[in-house]
Amino acid sequence: MKDPLVSIVMLCWNRRDDVRESLSRIRESTYSNVEIIAVDNGSTDGTPQMIEENFPEVRLLRMPENIGIAAYNAGFEQAKGKYIVILDDDSFPEKHAIERMVRRFEADPRLGVVAFDVRNYYNYDDIKNVDEMVDNSSTVANHRYYMSFNGAGAGVRADVFRQAGYYPEEFFLYNNELDTAFRIWDAGYTIQSFPDIVGYHKYSPVNRGSWRAPFYYTRNAFWVIWKNYPAQQALKHTAELIFRCFYHSFEQRTWIYLRAMASAFALIGKLRGKRKPVDPDIARRLRAPININFTFYR
Amino acid sequence: MQELLIIRSAGFQQLDKNLSEIIRRFPNHRISLLTHEHGVQPARKYKDIDRIYVYPYTEGFHARRKVPDFKGKPFDAVIVLVSNLSGSGFSNVMRFSLTIRAKRRYICNLVSEIREVTAAGIRMKHVLNVCFAGLAGCATVIAALFATAFLLVQWKRIAKKE
Repeated sequence: MKDPLVSIVMLCWNRRDDVRESLSRIRESTYSNVEIIAVDNGSTDGTPQMIEENFPEVRLLRMPENIGIAAYNAGFEQAKGKYIVILDDDSFPEKHAIERMVRRFEADPRLGVVAFDVRNYYNYDDIKNVDEMVDNSSTVANHRYYMSFNGAGAGVRADVFRQAGYYPEEFFLYNNELDTAFRIWDAGYTIQSFPDIVGYHKYSPVNRGSWRAPFYYTRNAFWVIWKNYPAQQALKHTAELIFRCFYHSFEQRTWIYLRAMASAFALIGKLRGKRKPVDPDIARRLRAPININFTFYR
Repeated sequence: MQELLIIRSAGFQQLDKNLSEIIRRFPNHRISLLTHEHGVQPARKYKDIDRIYVYPYTEGFHARRKVPDFKGKPFDAVIVLVSNLSGSGFSNVMRFSLTIRAKRRYICNLVSEIREVTAAGIRMKHVLNVCFAGLAGCATVIAALFATAFLLVQWKRIAKKE
């Protein structure tokens, strides 16, 4: 039987050299039946020209400006593969990862997402004790709670992803994976991680102090709650999140969390027609660490 | 051989970066790692981590949620990973670290700077944070009332039509 087509969708924004390296590494993959879709989010550093010149096998979609994660959805809609691999412009899969991912998907029809073990590109190879050549059939299983995935490296069953509505475009940035995870679990599919399916990410502390991460993570945490939790749980988690916004504003002497909270309420109209509470058991079991929003800043 | 415990309160990508510096700063230490259940398999990949302890709760680290395995177990050093520069937002983990018998406690931040924190310093910070929590609690009571009323009105508007 022919290997199923895998679509690799990468979002690019002003990281020409990183994109060049990621696309070069993708060429080393042991899985050959792939289509690569690079969605450029209005780069001004020559990223799209570099792709056209050096990677003729890549299908380039150009967005007129930076439209955030909505650009991913443009790529997902064009994908013809049975499975989609989601990458950032500074991440790429270990060379065996896609082959192993396909095998896991084919063996388990309820597997909706393979969450890659996304590791630090700069350090991981020096500190690991295992050879990635070795197959390891075990999962990072935990039976008490469910997990989301990291959008810097994940494989998704395309029809399940389509059914889940892809990424929530209104989020613009951050927490989009968590929102999608709710809908995938609620549709009866699982999200699993396997230790031998690894992705590399150029983990950079440089941008972590920016206002963007605390703002969008916090605003979107409210929206994840309002879209997905049953009413009683949603009100409880909203109160908790409001408390945390005030508390961490005092603790970190910043207005950013209160601005994010105000934005969540003011722009609630963007969620029109999008609230669909998940099964209460999914809401209880899916690990949604909203505290994490308050640990990036300062 | 001295005993060192890392509390994995930041992502693996950060630990990948921090570990080399921790090893350099703490030679002759046997390294253990405390992580949630989902972190056990990824943690097994580190060649320099000798033992992995599972935090037996779904929720984040908290002083009220102690680890039974650590009862009577002393460590020479405990390191809390923080995913920012200052450690703000991690007071719950710092207070949790006080439930572990340790001679010294440290913070390791996202750029691998390691600095010692004292038990007294953690407690003083906690007192300040209790004041913040009191203020935040008052503000939340007022805000949550408006928020609840607002959301109850909005539910229908944002509900998905079947």
